[in-house]
Amino acid sequence: MESKIFPGTVESIDLIRQYIKEISAHAGLDKKATYNLMLAADEIATNIMLYGYEKAGLTGDLKVLHTITEEELVVIFEDQALPFDPLARELPDEEDLSKPLEERSIGGLGIFLTVSGIDDFSYEYVNNQNRNIFKMKLQKPD
Amino acid sequence: MNVTIKKVNDITVIEAEGNIDSRTAGEFEKKAVEATTDEDKIIIDLSKVEFLSSAGLRALLILYRQVKARNGKIVLVGVSEEIQDVMENTGFINFFILADQIDDGVKAIG
Repeated sequence: MESKIFPGTVESIDLIRQYIKEISAHAGLDKKATYNLMLAADEIATNIMLYGYEKAGLTGDLKVLHTITEEELVVIFEDQALPFDPLARELPDEEDLSKPLEERSIGGLGIFLTVSGIDDFSYEYVNNQNRNIFKMKLQKPD
Repeated sequence: MNVTIKKVNDITVIEAEGNIDSRTAGEFEKKAVEATTDEDKIIIDLSKVEFLSSAGLRALLILYRQVKARNGKIVLVGVSEEIQDVMENTGFINFFILADQIDDGVKAIG
């Protein structure tokens, strides 16, 4: 797997998003899938940098690994910030999302966008590291 | 990320340029709220916005609530296909009027 390491600060978020765009182009993802992956990467990286590192007073980095197979693009974020499972929290459901904006609760949208835009998103905590795994299916050429 | 405020007739136009993400959404929200404190006709021009994260959606939500509370209207102009998809998935799209160009927005809100 190829990898690239970014400092665990909010300043890295833009750079990670750009890097994901490059990887997506390399894998041949279409415009919409590329946007969804950039969005998911942004949301998860924001949580890691802001809450996992900065607000927790911790320092570290975020390693972005990726591999491209015939069927899929797999991107993995590894960090040493506070353990945080994005999937542990209840996501807004259809009822929440059809409420008028006046009555909406303000949280949970970032993870919702992550889960709904990625073909297979998962999380694990292994060897004192958070691992956020994003899998995007690749369309086979006809 | 840049925010420019201008007036077209009695409509306040907020033009955003760049990415609206967790680092910039606060500034966008502050400038937009300040510019629209007493206004009820608002156009937000997003044609130069390539990327909008959940932080950007939250900023739109807060702005919408303030404007709605005084029976005002918000038109979003030039929203990219990808951002429209995100707004649709999250049920945001129905609460805003969408227009392709500023002129269409002015007609829609006039």
